[in-house]
Amino acid sequence: MMKRVAEWWFAPAPAERLAAVRIFVGAFAVMWVGGRLAESYAVAQLGASHWKPIGVTKILAEPLPPGVTLAIAIVTTVLLVAFTLGAAYRFTAPAAAIGILWTLTYRNSYGMVFHTENLLVLHVIALACAPAADAWAIDRRATTQPVAGYGWVLKLMAAITAVTYVLAAIAKLRLAGVAWLDGEQLRNQIAIDNLRKALLGDWIAPLATPFLDHPSGFTIFSVTTIVLELSAPIVFVHPRVARLWCLAAWGFHFGVILLMNIWFLYPLLGLAYLPLLRAERPFAWLIGWWRRRRAGNVPPATTG
Amino acid sequence: MRPNRLFAAIISIVMIAATAEPVLRKPWEDSFPLSPYAMFAYKRPTKLTMDYAFGVTATGERRTLTPRIVGSAEVLQALTVIQRARAKNELPDLCAKIASRVADLDRYADVTEIRIVSGTHDAVDYLVRHIKGPETVRTTCRVTR
Repeated sequence: MMKRVAEWWFAPAPAERLAAVRIFVGAFAVMWVGGRLAESYAVAQLGASHWKPIGVTKILAEPLPPGVTLAIAIVTTVLLVAFTLGAAYRFTAPAAAIGILWTLTYRNSYGMVFHTENLLVLHVIALACAPAADAWAIDRRATTQPVAGYGWVLKLMAAITAVTYVLAAIAKLRLAGVAWLDGEQLRNQIAIDNLRKALLGDWIAPLATPFLDHPSGFTIFSVTTIVLELSAPIVFVHPRVARLWCLAAWGFHFGVILLMNIWFLYPLLGLAYLPLLRAERPFAWLIGWWRRRRAGNVPPATTG
Repeated sequence: MRPNRLFAAIISIVMIAATAEPVLRKPWEDSFPLSPYAMFAYKRPTKLTMDYAFGVTATGERRTLTPRIVGSAEVLQALTVIQRARAKNELPDLCAKIASRVADLDRYADVTEIRIVSGTHDAVDYLVRHIKGPETVRTTCRVTR
């Protein structure tokens, strides 16, 4: 039994697939951390009265000076660029993982824990523990395939994604019980969330108001949500099943935009599901296109 | 890193177990990045009392302010900024900060006053039927340019 599980877990996958996942996830992390430096700095200036440390930031007795917070975020961004490019990966990847864990945890330690970036951090940590720069890296050094291969990291990332969805379903059933399925809880959540947005000057979700006026539809949304979340582990049954589930989960997040104007960008861009897909294909196509283009540019040999 | 199978198995088990660990906590014991993801699980009534700020023009018209003006681009974090200011009796200071930010923005050129209020609204009535609930003014301040 253990042998079969091990064979499945360590089933081979191409180095290019893992490298593609590293590049996509890394590029998103660079934009997520680097593109929000000003916002992180602004939040760090809220001061000790707003400070409520969570996770790794509990080691701090008081918040860091905003300048230090900004410096850490900038260094993290640089490390994430190296992570994405596969530069000195053995050193930069663990440092980038620690950096993004610290920077985003710190950002979440100011009174409001967001749930849009958890998977990103966990996926970067998983990639940092793996030989994800054996292909498509600027200083690729590996000449032999690692003993454990490349497939296990992709399975690990997919398992982490699946666990987070199952946890979300369990939380609903633990707190509200099967009553969550009747749709009223979901409707109330959507109503309250949009009311807060309206009062605080944010955009109201485009379909919130029409659906709030017709509450019967929320029963379908609630049942679909719970089924989708609890069924996440089926992604390991077959690649085709995994792709179908990913499509359904993507649709769920798109629905969250339409009803709550909450953007879970990481899954919406497909990055949460990337370990389940043939992520190397876009890069392989791009490289093939580039090679064909270069070959086409070779001037014809002159004769005579 | 180029772990062997044993080390890779240990990493896998530890990371999956850590991700699943919040199931052992109370659902409201949130953390980051390990969360029970209970954000949409709570029972909520549709009636909500909360504090918020808005601008008022010289003719008495109401102008909604973006969350960034309150202190954060994230709407929920802006909410906590107001909540904490109220808990610490610092609403007048926050109002002054908001007024100074508004004074620098052309699109709020017609706003002459900032009000921070506590309002109680039914979410469905407010959003669908445009029925506002009662509001109590907590503090006001002038926008000086």
